[in-house]
Amino acid sequence: MAKHWFWWFMTMACVVWYSTVTVYVAIKGGADIKHMLARLDATKAREEREERER
Amino acid sequence: MTNFNWLLDGSIVGVYLVATMAAGLMVRKYVGKVEHFLVAGREMDVYLGIASLAATEFGIVTCMYTAQNGYEKGFAGATPGILMAVAMLVVGLTGFVIKPLRDAGVMTIPELFEKKFGPRIRWASGVVIVLGGLLNMGVFLRTGGEFLVLISGLDVRYLEIMMTALLVGVAVYTILGGMLSVLVTDYMQFIVMSAGLIVVTILILMNVGWETMVTTVETNYGAGGFNPFINPTMGWEYVLFNLLLNTAAVLTWQTTIARVLAAKDTNTGRKVYTRTSFFFVCRFLIPGIWGIAALASLGPVANTLEAMPRYLSTAVPPGLMGLLIAAMLAADMSTDSSYMLTWGSVIYNDIMAPFRKTRWSEKKGLFWNRSIIAFIGVFLLLYGLWYPLKGDLWTYLGVTGTIYLASMSVLLIACCYWRRANSWGAGAAIFISAAIPITYLVSEQVPATADLAKAVGPYYSGIATYLLSGAAMVVGSLLKPQSSGDLRKETA
Repeated sequence: MAKHWFWWFMTMACVVWYSTVTVYVAIKGGADIKHMLARLDATKAREEREERER
Repeated sequence: MTNFNWLLDGSIVGVYLVATMAAGLMVRKYVGKVEHFLVAGREMDVYLGIASLAATEFGIVTCMYTAQNGYEKGFAGATPGILMAVAMLVVGLTGFVIKPLRDAGVMTIPELFEKKFGPRIRWASGVVIVLGGLLNMGVFLRTGGEFLVLISGLDVRYLEIMMTALLVGVAVYTILGGMLSVLVTDYMQFIVMSAGLIVVTILILMNVGWETMVTTVETNYGAGGFNPFINPTMGWEYVLFNLLLNTAAVLTWQTTIARVLAAKDTNTGRKVYTRTSFFFVCRFLIPGIWGIAALASLGPVANTLEAMPRYLSTAVPPGLMGLLIAAMLAADMSTDSSYMLTWGSVIYNDIMAPFRKTRWSEKKGLFWNRSIIAFIGVFLLLYGLWYPLKGDLWTYLGVTGTIYLASMSVLLIACCYWRRANSWGAGAAIFISAAIPITYLVSEQVPATADLAKAVGPYYSGIATYLLSGAAMVVGSLLKPQSSGDLRKETA
């Protein structure tokens, strides 16, 4: 391990970082999807309202 | 003989496929405009962007060739991933190129080129991007199918049918929901893919063991298995070529940059890059570990590309095998959908631009975008699956990639940061970037020049392409007589 510490460190970093990020992105990404669709809905409603007013 | 259990693992795979298709189809109601279809209305936020970028840039082909790198080069084989991570981090932190690109509000890179180089360069760039991208993507289906056949023990006679069904499924939700469907399905596929990659890697590290893997690499490759500069098949030219290649990819590979263009603002785009950058180390090192484990377990094999799936087919137990296959399907589907949409967007936005003299209605625009994706799907089936490719796969990927990346990166950097850059320089750069790789490829095949091509090697040829493309941009631009309008702009 000491001899090839760089690759040992990179391998462990990959496993730990990737595991952590997967959980974090799974939670936050779900919220992002919800907000994105809500913003698209709001924009669509506003554009339809403007179209009717014209 | 594999550990794939049709009841247990087949059920896991089936549930994953149904859930993905359902999610992809559900968001189609939000698509009302071309902007929604191509760039999700520019409403993508950071974490969704990270999931989508990571899922898009990891497909079965990626897993196969990165594992092959681990098998053939040991830990040093992960070098390209480290270089890409560094490039993406630096670009994200500094905003180099991506800031002006996102600020311009364009949907594709060639659209930006028109402002500076004119409509002909925009069109030529679109052709280069689409040709490079589609030819590159042409190998994905068959290679992905071969992996799945090896790992699941499926009869090879069903390979074409299986991959056709998969592509049709992906095409359906991509055609209907565009980038919105791609983002939502990418998010799900990222979770499934990541779970599979992490669990299998931990299993391998526990079963094979770190010391065994290190000893295997030392025995087979010596110090070169840990240091790319002294590896006889790599060296400084390999590192430099990959630095140029991966920096260019970070800046111009349309599927990657599409996440920046779909971001709700420039800062979000930059954050997506900086926070995803380390993923590209994982992208090479994790399958690389699998490749090293395959070397430790199987020893020398005739076809190194098949080593990793052959090893996994008996090393991964039932249950976990279902998760692994679902993970790999997730990886492939996310890549296929994103790539089809991306190349389709360049065809619509740039190659078809001359045919859109008058503004098209949103309905007409959506119809054409959807039709283009359908045509791309048919092309992929015919070219990639039913018509077997000949020749060396990686040389093929390298050539198609360099033609695109060398010219587009030079054009993009010049477009953003050099006022004197113009259409002559852009045209020269495009020409040189195509001429050198194609000349190299042809030279390899012609008996009279094969030895010379071998002596030059792909890395020196690739480095020369980038450098000479840059030189062509400078020389070509300086040669063009400046108009009075150009002089006023320069002195302003």
